Amino acid sequence: MGEIKPTGVFLSYDGEALNGIDPHVLDEYVRKIPGIRKVWIAGEELEPVPQKILKEINDHKLKRIVLAGHEPGMCKSAFSLAMAEAGLDTDDVTLASFSEFGVSCLLEAKAVLYCSIFGIPFPEARKNGSARVLPETLVIGGGIAGIQAALEIADSGNKVYLVERSGTIGGHMAMFDKTFPTLDCAACILTPKMVDVGQHPNIELITLAEATEVKGSAGNFEVNIHKKARYVDETACIGCGVCSEKCPQTAYSEFDAGTTLRKAIYIPFPQAVPNKYLIDAANCKYIQEEKCGVCQKVCPAECIDFTEQDSDIKVKVGNIIVATGFKTFDAGRIKEFGYGAYPNVLTSLEFERLVNAAGPTGGNIRFRTQDKKGHWVFRPKGQEPKSLALIHCIGSRDRNYNEYCSRVCCMYSLKLAHLVKEKLPDAEVYEYYIDMRAFGKGYEEFYNRIKNEGVHTVRGRTAKISQVNGQLKLRTEDILNSRLIEQEVDMVVLAVGLEPGNDASALAEMLNIKREDTGWFLETETSCDHCGTLNNGIHLAGVCQGPKDIPDSVAQGSAAAAKVLQNILKGKVDTGVNGLHDIELRAKELSTIREDER
Amino acid sequence: MNNRIDPTLKTDLKKFGLQAWNDCFHCGNCTALCPLTEDANLFPRNAIRTMQMGLKNKLMSTVDPWLCYYCGECSDTCPRDANPGEVMMTLRRYLTSLYDWTGLSKKFYTSKIWELGAILLLGGMVVLAFVLFWPTISPELTADGGVRINSILPMQWIEWADWTMAIIVAMLLMSNILRMYIKIVHGEGAIKIPFHLYFKEAWQLMFHFSTQWKFSKCDGKRYWLWHWLLMSGYTIMFILIVVFLPWFQTEEIYKPWHPQRLLGYYATFGLLFGLTAVIIGRIRKNNAKFKFSHVSDWLFIFMLLLTVISGILIHFFRIYGMPMATYFMYVAHLAVLVPMIMIEVPFSKWSHLAYRPFAIYFANLRIAAMKYHEKTEISLATS
Repeated sequence: MGEIKPTGVFLSYDGEALNGIDPHVLDEYVRKIPGIRKVWIAGEELEPVPQKILKEINDHKLKRIVLAGHEPGMCKSAFSLAMAEAGLDTDDVTLASFSEFGVSCLLEAKAVLYCSIFGIPFPEARKNGSARVLPETLVIGGGIAGIQAALEIADSGNKVYLVERSGTIGGHMAMFDKTFPTLDCAACILTPKMVDVGQHPNIELITLAEATEVKGSAGNFEVNIHKKARYVDETACIGCGVCSEKCPQTAYSEFDAGTTLRKAIYIPFPQAVPNKYLIDAANCKYIQEEKCGVCQKVCPAECIDFTEQDSDIKVKVGNIIVATGFKTFDAGRIKEFGYGAYPNVLTSLEFERLVNAAGPTGGNIRFRTQDKKGHWVFRPKGQEPKSLALIHCIGSRDRNYNEYCSRVCCMYSLKLAHLVKEKLPDAEVYEYYIDMRAFGKGYEEFYNRIKNEGVHTVRGRTAKISQVNGQLKLRTEDILNSRLIEQEVDMVVLAVGLEPGNDASALAEMLNIKREDTGWFLETETSCDHCGTLNNGIHLAGVCQGPKDIPDSVAQGSAAAAKVLQNILKGKVDTGVNGLHDIELRAKELSTIREDER
Repeated sequence: MNNRIDPTLKTDLKKFGLQAWNDCFHCGNCTALCPLTEDANLFPRNAIRTMQMGLKNKLMSTVDPWLCYYCGECSDTCPRDANPGEVMMTLRRYLTSLYDWTGLSKKFYTSKIWELGAILLLGGMVVLAFVLFWPTISPELTADGGVRINSILPMQWIEWADWTMAIIVAMLLMSNILRMYIKIVHGEGAIKIPFHLYFKEAWQLMFHFSTQWKFSKCDGKRYWLWHWLLMSGYTIMFILIVVFLPWFQTEEIYKPWHPQRLLGYYATFGLLFGLTAVIIGRIRKNNAKFKFSHVSDWLFIFMLLLTVISGILIHFFRIYGMPMATYFMYVAHLAVLVPMIMIEVPFSKWSHLAYRPFAIYFANLRIAAMKYHEKTEISLATS
């Protein structure tokens, strides 16, 4: 079984062992396969010149030649010529191309080479069979990408479980005031979709929950969802808010990016879905110390239950969509900008809340001040800044932090500059950028529009922010005008970049999907398959695959849904890939079958 | 204005220790962060730009690299790890070789064989001179038990040799500074400098030479102090052995508080302290300025250390009456000292002792001239 014609293997090699794929190791591996008469390493034993190859063919009585390497097709013509000269079939020169199959390690290289030697297409030997696909889908993450994907699948008539860690869906987009470049109200686009999710008969929304265990393979996953206690009966709560009014405990509001306070029993924001209150156990006096309990007493629907325990839900799904989003870069890591030390140096997310009409100040731009208990918060009353600076590329395009471009910061900074001009027409606004990346449809026009509104755009990365007598001072090189600028401003907004969430690595491990060095989840193909992972039942959507703006996140959400529906409609899915040993066995088996067929 | 692009500039600079040349994406972080930069002389980014574009002529007439004292803050925070501080250091080496008309500087900086060969040759010549004119060693001691150092090694010879060496070095250095002056003040983008300004701004030269005031504006006063101790120790010692040798190299052993000994001790302390700090820094690489050490950096430290140690040993051997040891150590001392001064001062790292203050002087001349022209233009316009 599996005997092959006398074969010579030519290992092409351009001087460097890429990804540890060392031709000398491959040489050793290949020699052990019965039927291999000769192995050449390019540049060391054989130059691809027809005469020399012909001599080798005759010396070793070869009938076939396999060319292996990253791009072995380069020297195929010389081998074909030599084969023809020797009176053999030129079709017996076969290629084992590593780049064709995206080989990234030695094992994969061996597998590709092995399959070529046996004349079996690599993808065929790699396949591990297929499985029936359950029609249910799990979407992890309820941001705009997850919402879009869930709605697309649910609208097609299939069941979706949408798992969201916080108390409401909406994600980061719900925190934004406007979207670029059209300056549409973000909530006006998002909230109808959120309501759709909440009311959709095919969507089971599970908030305050996380997927903690995934068993099975593509087509048939068994997922354990850990649901934290809400302490409020979701079905009974009418969202009247009396409990929150009476609650004496406060904490920084997550939804407002920590710019204001909320109660221990709260609703993240008025348009939250589900529109039900929840108790933050860490800050609740009753749960921590068994004192208080005032919310339970005042609740007209009697829906507060302090004895509620965390629960686990087990679901069976055929496909999983990962749409876990991002976290913003921690600006405090860059000491030069004084974030955390100077109260009016804000992150862009904080500023989003400040300019938001539903934010802590009702959309009025005010200084951050200290309340009676010493919390730094934004309040509707107080003074407004007369000058603001926005600094781009905080934590992005910086080899000390993240080398990649976060893609959204240039545009959202321009949008924020516009909002400042809209609310404070007399304020001076400065944008300090390295390169202005206005790459999308209508973005360049938007940039020009903002410049015409009187926003000063300065090319140069601000190096340092200092605070002297309450006045913030920025030091920047104005590159286009060849001068140093010491700009005094009242408020600084740091355009923080995007980073993978803290638990992205745990999630990748649980789902058995790969991550890039940057931490974003790895897609199968950068240009042609944005959503796929190496596991055919798991798909990516939104920023968790790489920084992108809202239109792109929505597009990817729809794309991931299309992939899921494809699997559901086919009813069958490839369950996974074989290891080297299995590929070897399978290749031999397939070649025997072929022989028999002949 | 000659803006010709020199495609060989990059490969040339690599020989002087340049690592990354194309990493910089011109965000301006380094310039904005630098405590020494000012509108008239924006650096380090401008110099990096000039370098990347291959504008050799413009680079030759730039004063910027000499204004940088390498605190390393720009390198630490550079978003591209382009190491602006190290680029400036490389440019200083390169400029030193451009100012030097003999071409030896380039050879010493780019070839270890040339540099080590020259040091060994000069050192060997010193030893040979002593072998040829071998003095009779007298075991007799002075009344206070010291070695009779001047009776056997005639001090006039040493003094003559000292002066000869000092004059050669000074001639070389002065001619190089003249070339530097021509390139910076009359080179690319030259402006006319009114004659009286040369005198008006001359104080800068002495002030910055003796205090290195600009360095103190860099990262904290600590490195400035180390550097200043090293520099002042070196300068004092140099003046003592070249100009005041008869007063300094006596057979009579003075009391420890005699100015001769006090000055000697101060200079030795300054040198040792500065050297120790620099050596520890360069080994531990705990600061950006110490991360990359060129051959010329280590060679210079090593030779200076040898000179100081041999000098200290001569001192003690002489005081404690050990004639043979004193003479051998004396020869060894000179065999290190002569090549160090002859090679390092005009052609290599030591030359920054002169180039730095002159660069500040030239830079201020230009600024003063610009202000002067502005003023005269305004007064012309108003009249």
